[in-house]
Amino acid sequence: MFWKACNFSSLPVENWNGEFTVFQPESGKTHFLNEMGLKILIILDQSPASLDTLCQKLSEYFTLQPDVQFPGQIARTLQRYEALGLIARVKESE
Amino acid sequence: MKVAQLSLNELRALLVGPGLRVKAGPFNLSIRTRLPSLIRQLHSLYSRYSLVEEDEIVEFHVQVIPRRSVRRPFARLIQFEVDGRFPFPPVPLEQALATLEWGVNLVIAARINHFLLFHSAAVERNGHVLLLPAWPGSGKTTLSAMLMYHGYRLFSDEFGLMEPQSGEFYPLPRLMPLKNQSIEVVRNRLPEAMLGPEIPGTLKGTVVHICPTQASIEQSDETARPRWIVFPKWSAGAAVRLEPLPQSEAFLLLATNAFNYEVLGKTAFNAVTNLVRGCECRKLVYSDFDEALAVLNALTDG
Repeated sequence: MFWKACNFSSLPVENWNGEFTVFQPESGKTHFLNEMGLKILIILDQSPASLDTLCQKLSEYFTLQPDVQFPGQIARTLQRYEALGLIARVKESE
Repeated sequence: MKVAQLSLNELRALLVGPGLRVKAGPFNLSIRTRLPSLIRQLHSLYSRYSLVEEDEIVEFHVQVIPRRSVRRPFARLIQFEVDGRFPFPPVPLEQALATLEWGVNLVIAARINHFLLFHSAAVERNGHVLLLPAWPGSGKTTLSAMLMYHGYRLFSDEFGLMEPQSGEFYPLPRLMPLKNQSIEVVRNRLPEAMLGPEIPGTLKGTVVHICPTQASIEQSDETARPRWIVFPKWSAGAAVRLEPLPQSEAFLLLATNAFNYEVLGKTAFNAVTNLVRGCECRKLVYSDFDEALAVLNALTDG
């Protein structure tokens, strides 16, 4: 399964010294994200990615040590983002 | 023309008849009632307010009317009405003034969307607004009342009224409900203040209204830009602390305590962003007003 961001590049984003506010016009909601939360959206906005690929890119970007719990944490974040309408599932070919 | 220039009989004729049309900051208000006790209270506590010119439109038409209860046939009850609707249940006659004031606040919070409405006190010093956002029970009404008598101009104890495009704040100096222990504090510290009657048994306990100063009401057309945002918290016995607050936290606190943030959508997002970026943000913990005044004066000097 792949994930992609929903119109992320059109969302207003404000940087508050490493914390971010993102306004989502469709829901009228403002989301508060840390740097990794925002990076997930940026990666998925550039091209659809699987959970494994996403975790690999995040680990490289943030120079993280291997952690078996990391994919599970990211998967939960993806589910939350999907519920908020920030990302959607796509087929591999899309 | 001020309400003070009306005799009690003239005021009664307006309140019983077409309505008393008074200015409340950027809003015009029409009040009707035939309750003698409320008429007397308004004659005193509204004396500093200006009447609305005849050719001006009134935004809110409210009244306080007597009610009968089948279950409590001998109880003297009243109810607040706005445009034929009754947002609160009937309450004892003695609570008429408090119900009127809370009712007007409710109408402003529910209907006004051309301003971004923060749940916040606001005062002005040295030409700039000090915003004091806080949840109920944080002591912002008492703090506002005290600041009003110590060199600050009152904008409001309840609403930070921001024009979202320009970022300008609008004064809305209305009666302020002091509650419970704060009543004695203000009585002792501000003997010159104009206070209303003691109203026991409300949902918020005993309430006494304090009237804004003449200067605050007379300058209620003078808007100002914000420069400081301070989140106050009264805490018994606490030493005074005025600490920097991260802008991200200030954004979060402001956005979540605005009455109409989600209604205004992106406009509110941009307005809060610009507000926070343009202000110094602090949190204040205090138990002693003089100590709080000293640190707020230092912050707002120059």
